[in-house]
Amino acid sequence: MTADAFLFWFLSLVTLASGLSVIFMTNPIYSALSLAMTMIGVAALFVTLDAYFLAGVQLIVYAGAVMVLFVMVLMLFDLKHEVQAFSRGRLTGAIKIASVGILSGLIVGAVTMGLKPAAMAVFAVDGASNPVVVDTTKALSENLFLKNVLGFEILGVMLLVIAVGVVALSRSKGGTHARD
Amino acid sequence: MLETSTFTEITLNHYLALSAILFSLGMAGVLLRRNLIVLLMSIELMLNAVNISFVAFAKYTGKIDGQVMVFFVMTIAAAEAAVGLALAVSIFKRFKEVNIRFFEHLKG
Repeated sequence: MTADAFLFWFLSLVTLASGLSVIFMTNPIYSALSLAMTMIGVAALFVTLDAYFLAGVQLIVYAGAVMVLFVMVLMLFDLKHEVQAFSRGRLTGAIKIASVGILSGLIVGAVTMGLKPAAMAVFAVDGASNPVVVDTTKALSENLFLKNVLGFEILGVMLLVIAVGVVALSRSKGGTHARD
Repeated sequence: MLETSTFTEITLNHYLALSAILFSLGMAGVLLRRNLIVLLMSIELMLNAVNISFVAFAKYTGKIDGQVMVFFVMTIAAAEAAVGLALAVSIFKRFKEVNIRFFEHLKG
């Protein structure tokens, strides 16, 4: 078994196991820690896919900023073990799990059966016509700042609007500084 | 049925299947859990699953556009988490709990 294959199976095991424990831990803090582990696993998967810059961004933004946000809010709430972590009703629960299972099976089946080697050959030819990118960070920045610069600017404006909106939302009636 | 090359040779399909399973896990979390924070975490899980398939396609087709899309998705996800958590704070201040069923009393 090559190192690539071993790395993929190991990382997918870590990612799926911690993803499962996000759902099944009844204490939200454990869920948050499992989510951080999942994010790190996904970042490592990005490295195996030659997306080095995105792996760094994933670690800084998700495993850093977003997780700190989640954990801070959890500590603000001081939640104990939940009395009712899962939704009520055995029948509806069974239906939900069954629907998720069917969706998962459909997607995996479609992926494994739909892309036969013939379909993969199309990709290979496509990849050959435009040479495989090696320096992905440089190519990413060129694409982002030359081709998609409008989207980039719009995202900046959107982040500003969201930041103002979040501050307004959490300071509104009943916010952290409410007097009653 | 399964040849040994399925395990030793990693193709695009492997990454897509992993992404599909991770997405379904996130969907199960959204459907089954009642805690708003865990709900938001499950949504992050789904977004990450989509990111994996974007990057996998970007590598196996030799185009970089998939990675740019992942960049955008990450920004949106961070913004969405911020708004969701602000809503959770406002719910908690009022009801002292972050169960999703209190969202029907959000008005006022």
